[in-house]
Amino acid sequence: MAEFSWDVRSPLDRALVAGQYGAQGDAGVSLTEIRNFDLVQVIVRRGKAADTAQAAKARFGVATPETPKAVQTTDATLIWSGPDQFFVLSKDGKHGTEALAQPFASSASLSDQSHARVLISISGARARTMLAKLSSIDLHHDAFALGAAAATSMDHTSVTLWRGNDRDGLAVFNVLVFATFAESLWHTILDSAAEYGVAISHSEELA
Amino acid sequence: MAGNQKNRLTSGGLIDRSASLNFRFDGKSFSGFQGDTLASALVASGVKLVGRSFKYHRPRGILTASSEEPNALVELRTGARREPNTKATTAELYEGLEAASQNRWPSLRHDVMSVNQLFAPIFVAGFYYKTFMWPAKFWEAIYEPAIRRAAGLGRAAGTADPDHYDKAWAHCDVLIAGSGPAGLAAALGAGRSGARVILCEEDFTAGGRLLSDGGMIDGLPAADWLSRTLAELAAMPDVRIMTRTTLFGVYDGGTYGAIERVNDHLPVPPEHQVRQRLWRIVAKRSIVAAGAIERPIVFAGNDTPGVMMASAMRTYVTRYAATPAKRVALFTNNEDGWRTVETALGAGLQIAAVVDARPDVSPAHRSLASKNGFTVLHGSVSGVDGGKDGVRKISVSLTGGARAEVEADGLAISGGWNPTVGLTSYHRGRPKWRDDIAAFVPDGAPPGMVAAGAANGAFGLGACLREGFEAGTMAARDTGRTGNAGSTPVADDEIFSLAPLWHVAGKGKAFVDQQHDVTASDIELAQREGFESVEHLKRYTTLGMATDQGKTSNVAGLAIMAAVSGRTIPETGTTIYRPPYVPVAIGAFAGHHRDETFHATRLTPSHHWAAEQGAIFVDTGLWKRAQWYPRAGEKDWLESVTREVKAVRSGVGFCDVSTLGKIDVHGPDAGAFLDRVYINTFSSLAVGKARYGLMLREDGIVYDDGTTSRLAEDHYFLTATTAKAGLVMQHLEFCRQVLFPELDVQLTSVSDQWAQFSIAGPKTRDLLKEIVDPAEDLSNEGFPFMGAREVALRGGIRARLFRISFSGEMAFEISVPARYGEAMARNLMLAGRQFGVTPYGTEALGVMRIEKGHIAGPELSGTTTAADLGLGKMMSTKKDFIGRVMAGREALVAPDRQVVVGIKATDKARRLRSGAHIIPKGQTPGPGNDQGYITSVCFSPTLDQWIGLALVQRGRERIGEIVHAHDPLRGEDYDVELCNPVFYDPDGGRQRG
Repeated sequence: MAEFSWDVRSPLDRALVAGQYGAQGDAGVSLTEIRNFDLVQVIVRRGKAADTAQAAKARFGVATPETPKAVQTTDATLIWSGPDQFFVLSKDGKHGTEALAQPFASSASLSDQSHARVLISISGARARTMLAKLSSIDLHHDAFALGAAAATSMDHTSVTLWRGNDRDGLAVFNVLVFATFAESLWHTILDSAAEYGVAISHSEELA
Repeated sequence: MAGNQKNRLTSGGLIDRSASLNFRFDGKSFSGFQGDTLASALVASGVKLVGRSFKYHRPRGILTASSEEPNALVELRTGARREPNTKATTAELYEGLEAASQNRWPSLRHDVMSVNQLFAPIFVAGFYYKTFMWPAKFWEAIYEPAIRRAAGLGRAAGTADPDHYDKAWAHCDVLIAGSGPAGLAAALGAGRSGARVILCEEDFTAGGRLLSDGGMIDGLPAADWLSRTLAELAAMPDVRIMTRTTLFGVYDGGTYGAIERVNDHLPVPPEHQVRQRLWRIVAKRSIVAAGAIERPIVFAGNDTPGVMMASAMRTYVTRYAATPAKRVALFTNNEDGWRTVETALGAGLQIAAVVDARPDVSPAHRSLASKNGFTVLHGSVSGVDGGKDGVRKISVSLTGGARAEVEADGLAISGGWNPTVGLTSYHRGRPKWRDDIAAFVPDGAPPGMVAAGAANGAFGLGACLREGFEAGTMAARDTGRTGNAGSTPVADDEIFSLAPLWHVAGKGKAFVDQQHDVTASDIELAQREGFESVEHLKRYTTLGMATDQGKTSNVAGLAIMAAVSGRTIPETGTTIYRPPYVPVAIGAFAGHHRDETFHATRLTPSHHWAAEQGAIFVDTGLWKRAQWYPRAGEKDWLESVTREVKAVRSGVGFCDVSTLGKIDVHGPDAGAFLDRVYINTFSSLAVGKARYGLMLREDGIVYDDGTTSRLAEDHYFLTATTAKAGLVMQHLEFCRQVLFPELDVQLTSVSDQWAQFSIAGPKTRDLLKEIVDPAEDLSNEGFPFMGAREVALRGGIRARLFRISFSGEMAFEISVPARYGEAMARNLMLAGRQFGVTPYGTEALGVMRIEKGHIAGPELSGTTTAADLGLGKMMSTKKDFIGRVMAGREALVAPDRQVVVGIKATDKARRLRSGAHIIPKGQTPGPGNDQGYITSVCFSPTLDQWIGLALVQRGRERIGEIVHAHDPLRGEDYDVELCNPVFYDPDGGRQRG
């Protein structure tokens, strides 16, 4: 019998070429694709908002975001995705669909989205300037503070956008895009970022 | 090189004499300096003739020094980068610039079509409508092409633009248009208050008229104040000054459009950079400080090269150190025009005379005249003697009736100033007439917008600063920014004195709209012929419809109309103002969305694997789908598709069907919810089973179909067609949130989570046994038709397996998390190698569904009912569902509806084509006997002939009848037989076996 191997392949596996892209010199934009994460869509069942919040508080130690915000704990990020719903982003199955099934059994419906999205982390001195070409959202540091999130669109493609913790004094923007749109958006990002110089990488670590 | 810049002053101006730039105009070499525009470099080089006019091919020169220029339009650059109708007055000079004049042949100086002037009497307003009426068929073939050759402007490049463009958003509290004194003062007021400010300036240098007219501000010369102010603004992190950026439009909700000419000042944009960027700016408040445009006075010969706006003449002399004339005459009706005298004298030019239309001239001006030895004539310029070499002499009608002549090689004209009321009027605000300045000022501006300074009719320097500063401070305050704005910059106000004068009667053509060659007599003719309304006037004469949108001509035109129709100017009114304020290239609107990236695309999980196999892809909505997989030696698509179908029917094949919409339906009421959205029942579906479902729209017409499986008591997995995936999700969310909020049900799109493959053919189970964990029972009993459950795969991952068939064969669909999709394709090839597994594309998929009589997009056309599709019996009578009541309407249940039926040609060799009409045999085709049309066709390898599906009146009752297929589009007529739509395995034994 044949041996079957099940390689996990990111939708950006072909399009992402690690290294420098566009203008030479110091890269104004850093693009890092985060691979192999767990992403669960949690939607509150009818009338169970308080139960869900309680279950989440018990599980994650933080309140669930009720407005467009992302809440980061040591091993998970809860990202608002709409009224009465949020994503749980984590690693290594710790808060994956199976792990969360029991805690939310009576209060929320879960859908695994780990393979349905691509996660791109965008930073660098020109990150905001570049993102202004893709997003209609005001990303000024006052208007889109640490932990701000948005369910919005880039290049006619639905995305979830949130601001993570700063890195080296610079803002970090995280974009979750539908997997089948990822390569298309990736090329648009490169087109938009090329003039600033781009440092491209991928990582297995959540920021 | 500077030697041939014979009209360049030796000092002064905002040009860098150490940076000489070579350029070519009409093939001839010239030079200029960094800081020049093409127009200023031409002025410095003594070039007066720059173009030929639109209709009469009259020689034209440079009228203005800014974006309102009607005449000095050139083709800039060459080859694929050639840009027609580019204003020389705004094109920045760069090394190696190439420009060519337009609308002349064989050359600018010797233009054959200038004979048009001799026929001028027939080229009057409305001449198209009057002249080219007969014979009608000559219009397209002869008249229009001839007119287009003779009239018109520059030529488009005709090849793809090699440059990139992009688009960006910007956000601010206060948006300011214009960086003249009012705009800068506004930026100071708003910026110091702590507001986020964006200031757009279309010029490449900030300063506006300060650069040309100077003045003293806060005790400093204007240039010093300007650099101090720009430094102060640059130090504010939230104030952004965008030069080379024109605010061109105002849209809803405080959104503005601006075009930034990022790299138009270079021959080629640097690598990775864009040529232009389109900005959408969201602002809480906006201040229009876009200044005013000096207006001409209309008189005979006013289009002669060398006739120039007085303010433009000052700009060329002061800003560019380039002298348009040696001996200047000035024709003015206002005090401001006199500034030109001071500027000209300061540059060492001679003043030939000042013609002032006002009854009085101040003693100061009189003494200036006597000191400098020029005469002041009371009256008006009524004619110009000159031609393509420029002005030689002007005729003056003196007050009191006498005439005078003045020798001059340049004529500066000033008829007063028109505030730029475009931006404030784009939401249908109508400008308001002010008698004291004889000009329209903004009124009815969009919410949050104010005008300040000259744009608001405040023409004094001090007033501009005061108004701008106050507007900036107030706008900041409105947005909650209340920092200390300090004090307003202070300057004196100039005397304002103007006697309105629009048109001087005289012999010869007097141009109102120079770009469209509209004369004063055209306006008078339009009035006589009844086109008195300004909107009619505009369209009949084309006044103001050229690329400059009448910036220098509209007000003069309607003033002349007012005079001849016996109305006041405000009674005559203005036409509606519409964006864009300046022409904006389509490329800028497209941004990066061109060619292959015209729109976003979606790739299936096995896309790159399929590409490696050499698949041909087809665009299906946004998706790229493998259409077929050609093999070496196959002569066309049909051969490949036929091979794929035969391979599936005789062995096994697989196809990526991940494009289907996939929705998790969760919750205790999931079954009840599905019962309401589908015509058939799902609450009764057992866990581990799949069912085909059909949805209707509210109006009873079929919306979509697909299989839905029950994976757990409170979890269904719904699929929708590729085409309707997004719409079905929207529809279901609407049902959940609005129609049935009482149901406890949750919906999540999981379309991208799962890679899904259809595996079909008699050897499907053999293949699956290779890859599925041996512990899983795949027998007909253990996994019957329409079974659905999770299984373990060899190698350690889990998959969902659905025993459903679209092909009519024994088939399964298998789903794995999407990042395993490519591995799945490879593993299916591996597992099926011994069975000759064949990947197949959407064409083979389509062939097999037509052979099996399954409906798809062409039948789910938004006009068909469930019964039309042969699925009427699926409609439950035991429950309510969306569309049930409306589906019972008389016309939707009429017995003569067009219903799905199979067709095959009586001539087995004939190719069928969809779209052909079905007509009863022996009848002449016409709307009265059109009984339907062919919806889907394919070549059936199984039947070895073309077959199809059609919607035909009473089709199911007419099986076996020969009808006529009429295809007027392709000119085909042939007979077809109506037959059972299920061509293949009608009793379904193969898919159940």
